[in-house]
Amino acid sequence: MSKTVCPRCATGGALDDYQGKEGGKVVWTIHRCPTCCFSWRDSEPASAIDIGIRSADFAVDAANLDRYVKILQQ
Amino acid sequence: MMQDLAKQSRSITSLRDFLELLGDAGQAITWSERVMPEPDVRNIAVAASRDANGAPAIVFDNIAGYPGKRTAVGVHGSWDNIALLLGRPKGTTIRELFFEIAGRWGDAAAQISTVPEARAPVHECRIESGINLYDVLPVYRINEYDGGFYLGKASVASRDPEDLDNFGKQNVGIYRLQLQGPDSFTLMTIPSHDMGRQIMAAERTGLPLKIAVMLGNHPGLAVFAATPIGYEESEYSYASAMMGAPIRLTKSGNGIDILADSEIVIEAEMQLGERVLEGPFGEFPGSYSGVRKAPIFKVTAISHRKNPIFENIYIGRGWTEHDTLIGLHTSAPIYAQLRQNFPEVTAVNALYQHGLTGIISVKNRMAGFAKTVALRALSTPHGVMYLKNLIMVDADVDPFDLNQVMWALSTRTRADDIIVLPNMPAVPIDPSAVVPGKGHRLIIDATSYLPPDPVGEAHLVTPPTGRDIDELSKKIRAMQLGALQ
Ligand SMILES: [Zn+2]
Repeated sequence: MSKTVCPRCATGGALDDYQGKEGGKVVWTIHRCPTCCFSWRDSEPASAIDIGIRSADFAVDAANLDRYVKILQQ
Repeated sequence: MMQDLAKQSRSITSLRDFLELLGDAGQAITWSERVMPEPDVRNIAVAASRDANGAPAIVFDNIAGYPGKRTAVGVHGSWDNIALLLGRPKGTTIRELFFEIAGRWGDAAAQISTVPEARAPVHECRIESGINLYDVLPVYRINEYDGGFYLGKASVASRDPEDLDNFGKQNVGIYRLQLQGPDSFTLMTIPSHDMGRQIMAAERTGLPLKIAVMLGNHPGLAVFAATPIGYEESEYSYASAMMGAPIRLTKSGNGIDILADSEIVIEAEMQLGERVLEGPFGEFPGSYSGVRKAPIFKVTAISHRKNPIFENIYIGRGWTEHDTLIGLHTSAPIYAQLRQNFPEVTAVNALYQHGLTGIISVKNRMAGFAKTVALRALSTPHGVMYLKNLIMVDADVDPFDLNQVMWALSTRTRADDIIVLPNMPAVPIDPSAVVPGKGHRLIIDATSYLPPDPVGEAHLVTPPTGRDIDELSKKIRAMQLGALQ
């Protein structure tokens, strides 16, 4: 399990989905959180990806995922 | 000149054609200075959309980490770009563009041609294994707190899972898609949209639901397929008729009719019964949607042209490309539908936030008649969910000229001429709703008084109006622009 922590739900284990490269050199990496489905690029401004700075309004509570409504129920 | 423009417009077959046409008219630029995916692409798109009349399309070809890839934004981002798409010159007024579209309604025939798959440009390059969407799409976060990387301008084509052979029941619509890893994405829709119905039908019956996601399309498709039409009408036929031009179709690898000249097509299949977290997404009312659990699709193949252009949109707090993209074609159907019953309706302006506010001009037949027309507007297909605030004005007021609308509000509205309809259906993403999906409607009758209303009409000043004055104001503007050069 990777040590990368999700800036939205604070859970570890984020996946590496893609690396942007230039001349063989990695420029940035896109991560994805398997718990809350947040995707981010490690080159983004801190306001979006630094858990200490991100607006708490957009946090996801990993312990309470049942609160999110399922769309298109029969 | 006008005829040349109309001819050029009818000869557009692809995004590439249109970008060339826009470039020749000074309405598309290439941004070759190196940019970061975030926040640069967003910032530049927002800065461009400040000029709703004249903003150019912008093609980025030097995005950090995406060598050799191109992204286009703002293709429909200004009235001048919309004018050129419709074969009219730059500087055409919004009112003129409205009547251009309204005049095409129900008027023309579709011209659909079929291109064999082997000769369709969209299939030039094909990926069927080792799929990673990020290899093909130079995505970026559209708004700061979006839950991921979104495709904001994807036209999604699908067949009715219970009626696979019916061309008319094929659906093409714009839905927001969030990438969920290298080979998956979620799709957001509501039950009343065609895709919502098809998803629910597939899950009810256990039948597979396959879709084809088209990116970088004929620019007419996004304009004319974004607004719901009747369920059994083909969006392709409709877009062709409205453009007065042929549309070239081919088949996707999973058997769906797609545009033969699109930049990129992603073939995918829904994972029946599965839902994953989607959102937030900065939506057209200018606020973020919530986080919800949405259906997820697995990518089965990708086709693309050589050196494809990934087309995306900035959407958020207005004014944005979303407003110029769908505004006129939100207004024109309401106008056409109202005129079936009420030929007294002279224009409909539903440009604001997809029609959350609409302004309708009408020749009052009798006192209070405008209110009757307003109630009819609420029962049009778009009105049912979207027309939240309606302002009714007389036929001598141009609903596209907000100074005139304010004059009507100031001089012709009485406070008891306002109707509030409580607890009506509402678009779930309207942030002012009582609860998502339910809210109040407002009708402001800003028309003048007629018998048997005892209050008399004011004695109006009649300033000169009409075509001569329109031409004079254009001449003044042109002289002013000339003076600046
Ligand atoms: Zn997370």
